[in-house]
Amino acid sequence: MKRPIILRTAAVAVSATLVLAGCTGTSGTNGSGGTGTGAANGLIDYLDYGDFGGGTAPQANYNPYLEATRLGAVDYVFEKLMVYDNFSCTPKPWLATEFSWTDPKTLTFKLRDGVQWNDGKPFTSKDVAFTFDLLKKHQPLDTKGVWRYLTSVEAPDAQTVTIKFKEPGASTFTLVTDVFVVPEHVWSQQADPVKFVNAQNPVGTGPMKVKNFNPNQLTIERNPDYWQADKVKVQEIRFHKADSGGAVEQLKLSRGEYDTNAMFVPDIKKAFVDRDPEHNHYWYPPGGSISVYLNLTKAPFDDVAFRKALTTAFDRDQIITKAQLGYVKAASQSGLVVPGQEKWLPAGLKDQGRISYDAAATDAALTAAGYKKDAQGKRLGKDGKPLSFTFKVPGSYTDWVSAAQIIVQNLKAQGFDVNLETPNPPTYESDRAIGRYDVLFGVHGGSCNMFRNFSEPLGSDQSAAIGQKAASNFVRWNDPGTDKLLEELRLATTDEAQKTAVAGLTKVMVDQVPMIPLWYGAKWFQYQTDKATGWPDEKNPYAAPGDNVLVLTNLKPAGS
Amino acid sequence: MRYFLRRAGFFLATLWAAVTLNFLIPRLQPGDPAEAIVSRLSGQSQAIDPAQVEAIRRMLGTPDGNLLTQYGDYLAAVVRGDFGISYTYFPYSVTHMIAAGLPWTVVLVGVTQILSFVIGTLLGAWAAYRRNSRVDSVITLGSSFIGTLPFFWLALVLIYVFAITLNWFPSGGGYGGGSNPGWNWLFFSDAFQHSVLPALSLLIVGPIGWIIGMRNNMVQTLGEDYARLARAKGLSRRRIALTYGARIAVLPNVTGFAIALGGILGGTVLVEAIFNYPGLGRMMLEAVANRDYPLMQALFLFITVGVLIANLVADLLYGVLDPRVRREEAG
Repeated sequence: MKRPIILRTAAVAVSATLVLAGCTGTSGTNGSGGTGTGAANGLIDYLDYGDFGGGTAPQANYNPYLEATRLGAVDYVFEKLMVYDNFSCTPKPWLATEFSWTDPKTLTFKLRDGVQWNDGKPFTSKDVAFTFDLLKKHQPLDTKGVWRYLTSVEAPDAQTVTIKFKEPGASTFTLVTDVFVVPEHVWSQQADPVKFVNAQNPVGTGPMKVKNFNPNQLTIERNPDYWQADKVKVQEIRFHKADSGGAVEQLKLSRGEYDTNAMFVPDIKKAFVDRDPEHNHYWYPPGGSISVYLNLTKAPFDDVAFRKALTTAFDRDQIITKAQLGYVKAASQSGLVVPGQEKWLPAGLKDQGRISYDAAATDAALTAAGYKKDAQGKRLGKDGKPLSFTFKVPGSYTDWVSAAQIIVQNLKAQGFDVNLETPNPPTYESDRAIGRYDVLFGVHGGSCNMFRNFSEPLGSDQSAAIGQKAASNFVRWNDPGTDKLLEELRLATTDEAQKTAVAGLTKVMVDQVPMIPLWYGAKWFQYQTDKATGWPDEKNPYAAPGDNVLVLTNLKPAGS
Repeated sequence: MRYFLRRAGFFLATLWAAVTLNFLIPRLQPGDPAEAIVSRLSGQSQAIDPAQVEAIRRMLGTPDGNLLTQYGDYLAAVVRGDFGISYTYFPYSVTHMIAAGLPWTVVLVGVTQILSFVIGTLLGAWAAYRRNSRVDSVITLGSSFIGTLPFFWLALVLIYVFAITLNWFPSGGGYGGGSNPGWNWLFFSDAFQHSVLPALSLLIVGPIGWIIGMRNNMVQTLGEDYARLARAKGLSRRRIALTYGARIAVLPNVTGFAIALGGILGGTVLVEAIFNYPGLGRMMLEAVANRDYPLMQALFLFITVGVLIANLVADLLYGVLDPRVRREEAG
């Protein structure tokens, strides 16, 4: 190497004049483009939806049982026997038109006539029986754990499915109807259904088919042979991969690039509604209860008088307005989601079980229960030592952190010495599961299955010794009376018996305070009415925001 | 020869340590992959369904058996080049996922690294050649100033100015939703548009290290006796600067560059996270967040092996370029 090396670099000229076809994210509000066939026959050309799951580098995966990695199209390609309106918890006939209990352990479904798989083959009861057997043979696919309760699923004739339960099965009805039905003629060919990604034109009975997929955009199109195709007024749905930055997504939402989305927006009114008050709307119906979990294996939390005193200690209104931006509602001590589930409430419960903030009442109740304040205003335990404990909250859940700060203030005002700790979410979840905590947040209830709503947080079989992982009973509530009520609820066969058991469980919640519900987690839901109308809202809550097929079959072109 | 053998032995020992740590570290983290997946699915305000956690645990086949057996299986699999199935992208294999992300990272970071090195070396040489002039102060002060700015802040400024305010370039992603990845012009132009801002951000901060290193080395070499002798012989300033200064001053930079190329895979987490670029850096971030052990292990292994090989190459290269090193080792 005698001579110096002269390095030549190619100058990269960046021309901003490259005109790109396709959406690069500048427009997306007007209904031009697309196939152009839609508008002509009274359909909406296309709608822009938000994220479709599958991580940051999604891969084609339409296996409806791989909940962790499947893509959002699954909800529109496959269908279930019954579809639940998850707002009021009423089942609607879907692939099955009716059901009846022959006896408490035998459930019979009559299937809908004339339903076709989107490859033209007829849908029959054999497909349903095959589907259930598939879940039995391949446990990883049974994500609802239905086979915990079943003995057999049979197809006596082409229109009938008979499901036999180990024990009376009414309490598991929601789980059984919540199974996506897959075509036998496709799935029986698969060597390993657990690893089957179903990537090429997935065959289902649903209103839409997969049209095109790339990691940034998933497009599904109307299935013209759908059994109620007359109700589907949308030609195409385009799901867009969310950028990792929430800020960018919020910007897109406020620019009107999404017809619907489900994201948290700090100031939804200013960022979205005010941009176009006529068309931009949001509705945040309540989900599960977010509660203060006290570690019931430790003093003083094992004292029911102490827990009861704390029910009035928290300023829920301040948490809602400050930490939750007013998007949520205060939760009922009953453990139920009111008003959606009010029909389950026992008679005579004051204000549906909502408890208001009353620091003076807490102070008096604590003192009466033997937790006095000393001269410096420190709250003492029954052993006369000052009470101090920690409150844990995941540091990255900013809204929970601000709620926790208000709670810590409320507790300090009562003379407790409280420290706020902010671990990362996995550490938090692991500490909560093994019971390594004093006080923290937990989420429970909110589903349409009453047995799940109460057994998961309160059943002793969902608990474990401190140091062992509890499945879901993180407070370690261990009470024979509760277990007995849960058993009654599980085996109840009549509405009346179910109601009695649920009323008993709400009484446990109110009288013994295993946990202290504060607010209902909101289901985020924004939508625009410039192209499509008929979205569910507060005035017409015919479905919860995530009930995709119900929503789709109610959408109509704007102005029609 | 002895020098090269010692380097190779050192390389193998480090490789084994890296592979072992790579196995241990993810397993020492708190958290359970199945729970991480379900809590991510449900979001923070939904109750977690234990039945679902159980099913996902079965699906992933979360490893059991003691650590030693797992370690044995792991080593055997690594040798076979079988990294298992990703948890985040089940049932796709880790190899499939890495193949999907690799081109993005290699092109984006490879190109910007090479450009940064070239630009940095040239600017540094120029600054040294015109040392203590105005050019020199602009280059050195400017690069020191830019070097003190936080990278993510620079990147966000770029996004704000060019993507949001001027709307010249997309704010993130590798390509738009309107084009399907493949060998077609539409996709390439789309991908190019998306790569401009991340590349620009890397090109702003990339050359700084090379500039400073090159300038200081060259100033030193130009002050050496042989440079003075050359000047006394009446050689032109330019010839001295290029053959006596730059050629020798660039040596440490060349080895540094080899190491930088090895770090391509690891050094992109931040830029890919900010620009949501579909490469390995972003994938690694996601793998860590999701407790995706198989994917995490493979990526870390890639990175460590890349850095180790680059180090080995740099060592060997230095031995070739600079005889003094070999002689020291031998003596």
